[in-house]
This record gives sequence, C-alpha cells and structure tokens, in this order.
Amino acid sequence: MGAPFDLSFIFRFFPKLLDTLGLTLLIVAGSLAAGIFAGFLVALPRMYNVPVLKRFSQVYVSFFRGTPILIQLFLFYYGLPEILKLAGIDISKAPVLFFVIITYGLNTGAFLSETIRASVTAVNRGQIEAAYAVGMTGYQAFSRIVWPQALAVAVPVFSNVVLALLKDTSLAFTLGVMELTGKAQTLGALTQHFVEAYISLALIYLVISLVLERLLKLAERRLLRHEQPVSTGGGRFRLWFRLPRARSYRQLIADANAGKGGAEL
Amino acid sequence: MIKLKNIHKSFGRQQVLKGIDLTVQKGEVVVILGPSGSGKTTLLRCVNYLEKPGDGEILIGDYHLNCRHAGKKEIHALRQKSAMVFQQYNLFRHKTAVENVMEGLLVVKKLSKEEAYRRSAELLEKVGLGSRLDAYPSQLSGGQQQRVGIARALALEPEVILFDEPTSALDPELVGEVLEVIRRIAAEGITMIVVTHEIGFARDVANHIVFMDGGVIVEEGSPAEVLSRPKEERTRQFLKRITPEPNYSI
Ligand SMILES: Nc1ncnc2c1ncn2[C@@H]1O[C@H](COP(=O)(O)OP(=O)(O)O)[C@@H](O)[C@H]1O
Ligand SMILES: [Mg+2]
Repeated sequence: MGAPFDLSFIFRFFPKLLDTLGLTLLIVAGSLAAGIFAGFLVALPRMYNVPVLKRFSQVYVSFFRGTPILIQLFLFYYGLPEILKLAGIDISKAPVLFFVIITYGLNTGAFLSETIRASVTAVNRGQIEAAYAVGMTGYQAFSRIVWPQALAVAVPVFSNVVLALLKDTSLAFTLGVMELTGKAQTLGALTQHFVEAYISLALIYLVISLVLERLLKLAERRLLRHEQPVSTGGGRFRLWFRLPRARSYRQLIADANAGKGGAEL
Repeated sequence: MIKLKNIHKSFGRQQVLKGIDLTVQKGEVVVILGPSGSGKTTLLRCVNYLEKPGDGEILIGDYHLNCRHAGKKEIHALRQKSAMVFQQYNLFRHKTAVENVMEGLLVVKKLSKEEAYRRSAELLEKVGLGSRLDAYPSQLSGGQQQRVGIARALALEPEVILFDEPTSALDPELVGEVLEVIRRIAAEGITMIVVTHEIGFARDVANHIVFMDGGVIVEEGSPAEVLSRPKEERTRQFLKRITPEPNYSI
C-alpha cells in the first residue's frame, strides 16, 4: 500500500507540517486559557462547599473525565448548535476552531479543577491565618500567599495536562481542522508516503513535548526554590541535595491537614 | 490598653470560653497559664478574630469592637491593632526571612520597598538573624523560624503581640534562644499576652498571670501571688503537675 518507503520525504514534510504548528499551538494555548478559567470556576464551589453548585461541578468533572474526548468533540460540534437553536441562538456559522477550543478547554478544565483545589488546600491554613494576623485582606492573603505556593505545587500535574492536551489536539482533524495531524494525513494522501508523513509528524510532536516539558520543569524549579536548601557546592552534590528537598515538598502537602478550622472570613 | 469584656465562644454545642474579662495595661506582659483544652488558644484567636467570638467586646488602644456587630471592615481594622506569634511559626514558606517581615509593611502599612527592607533587616538583626536575611524558612531551624515570626510581629508596631505557646514546638535546646528574645522585647515595654507552659519565664517576665481552666479565668494576680501562693485548688494542682520534678542524676 502506498509508494515505497523513501527517507527523504520525512525531511521534505517537515517544513510543510511546521506551517501548521502555529494552529496546533493556538489550540493548545486557547484551550489552556479556557481550561484554567473553567477549572477555577469549577473548583470554587468545592473549595467553599457551595451545596448545589458543588454537585453541578462534580457532574461536569465526571462527564469530561469519563467520556472519550473524540465523543466530546462530536457532541459539541454537532450537538451544541442544535441545543442553542432551541434557545434561539444560531452558532452554526461559528468557525470549527471555536468548537475545538471550547471542547478542549472544558475538558482541560475538568482535569485542572481537581489540581487547583488540591494545590490551594495544600497551602496550610496556618500561613493564611498568619496573613490575616498581619492585617491582610482575604484577597491579599490569597494572591500573595496562597496562589504563588499553590501554583508551584500544581506545576507537575499541570505539565501532564499540557502534554496530554498537545497530543489530544491531533483529534481536531476529525472535524476537518488543518492542524499538524490533519496536514500529515493530507500530505500522506497526496504523495502516498503515509509512513514518512507519520514519522515526520511523530518527531514534531516529540520535540514540542520535550521542549514544553523542559520549560515547565524550569518553571517548577523556580517556583519551588524556597523548598531547596542553598546549594553551596557544584554538581557533585546535586544528588545529595535532592533528598531534603523531596522531603520538605511532601511536608508541604502533609501540612495541609494540620490546621484547625478558623472563623468564616 | 487592651480590654476584653465577657468574651464567649462555642464550637457547636461545646462552650469553650464562658465569659472572659481581662485587662492588660500598656507595656504590661500578661502570661496565661492553664491545662490543655482550657481555651487559651481560642481566647488569643478571638482577640484578632481568627475565631469569631459569640459575644463580648474587645477594646485595643483606641479601637472598640462589639462582637455582635462586627463586619468585615471592623474585623480588618481590629486585626491591624495586634500581631500574633504562632506555635507552629506559620512563616510564609515561599518568602525569605526578610521578605516575611517586609510583607506586612508593604501590603498593610504601604511602606516603600526600601523603607520596608531597612526596617525588616534591622528587626532581624535585633532577634539575632542579621546574617540570615535571605534564608527561606525551610533553611532555618525552628528557633530561627520563630525569631523571624517575632520580628514579623514587631514590624507591625502593634498595640499588643499575642504569643501562643511560642516555644512548644521547639526542640528543648532551642527554647532558650526564643525566650531570650521575648524577654528582651518585653523589657522594651512592648505589650504582650503570652500563653506558655514555661513557668520560669512567667515568673521572671510577667507583670500579671492569669490561670484559665474550663473556659473561665480561675485566678489571676502577680507572679508571686499566683505562682507562689495560689488561692485556688485547681491552680495548685496545675502548678504541681507542670513544675518539673527535681532532677536526680545517678
Ligand atoms: N476549630 C475548633 N473546632 C472545634 N473545637 C475546637 C476548635 N478549636 C478548639 N476547639 C476545642 O476548644 C477547646 C479549647 O481549645 P484551645 O483553645 O485550643 O485550648 P488550649 O489552647 O488551652 O489548649 C478544646 O476542647 C478544643 O478541642
Ligand atoms: Mg493551645
């Protein structure tokens, strides 16, 4: 099936595929932004124990975690316009990209909401009380004390979500979006060099994944620098220094359960 | 002057504070003693509204608050009048020692960065941490962390500093350095309410001692009165229990 294998096609496909890299990254970035927003919104009722909304956010999370993302794409692309039509809103002319980003955004939000909730509760109650005792308002305590530390705790999970999202965007081609995977399909069909197209495609995903992973690792290290003992020596002591760091990181999480409940604020 | 009037607090059905009245003069050091569970922590936490009292009045300096009608604004204003030193230090873990002290100066007192840094470095110097300004809490011993906590409280120049068992979480060999710092700032005339089990410290530093049990003040008076000639049986029992046994070495 197809033309005989030809290594040179792999390299010839690179620039053509890279033309669509921007679109893939746009989907990733757009979905992440939407996902962080949705994740926060959904985490709030659970953090503050709001009865009805809490139930609603549980249903939302179960749906997006419990069904295949491909089905979610189809449901939103074909289903949402129908439902909104009943309410007299016409979005059948909206670009495909809109549906793609909405779906991936809500999906990411479901995965992030639990992380956001857990990371915020991982910052121990004692520090929040100290912030109030210093005279900060609730908002100041959250933005200056809780949020920066929650962010650091969340980065490892966040990395996983970003990488999963990057790979999931490859399904957008099923709705006809010309992102990386869609383009590879087309190139394969056009030249009959499918395998070369897929190898090229796989290499591109791999490189982006590695770069993203590296960047997020750096961000994590920077955000968690307060949990690392000062490094006095060079590389030789690296491994040795890692032990106490891992311990204090766990301590951070363990502290979460330590505080008593305080006054409602 | 600090005046607490008829402070009540319940957790669910359990009445933890049953009408506490306490007056602390400016510059005075009041030590609160009492068995575990008697409501000492809860009382301190009511003074800065980390717990919401069910009833009562709180007067700190020129600020008066009736707990029945305390809104967000009033609570926020009340909190600016006091500072707290916690048993578990509760330093901001993502901030260095000097940043921990600066935080309140920047955010609440709205000082400039330079001014906040200068004052914070000075205070850390005073508690013996002049060389550890840039250390994170995870890089400091418990005693050092607690001294940062004390500097953080001092920086706010509050009417009163509330200490909740400031040395209970420390290894025995680190207790001394923290008590020494508290002793020093007490001598400077800073008003303090200190919950502690360190009887020796109470005897030396306190102007006034309060013994609490079961959510009420059982007995209060000068250290000599309460510690050496307690009137109440409950106070006597308690003191007997926490005074260290004579240490016979073999
Ligand atoms: N957040 C809370 N929820 C329920 N009960 C509490 C809470 N905080 C304290 N208590 C109870 O109130 C009583 C007094 O506690 P506390 O003020 O911590 O005593 P102390 O500091 O004197 O040991 C204890 O019985 C304790 O179990
Ligand atoms: Mg206590």
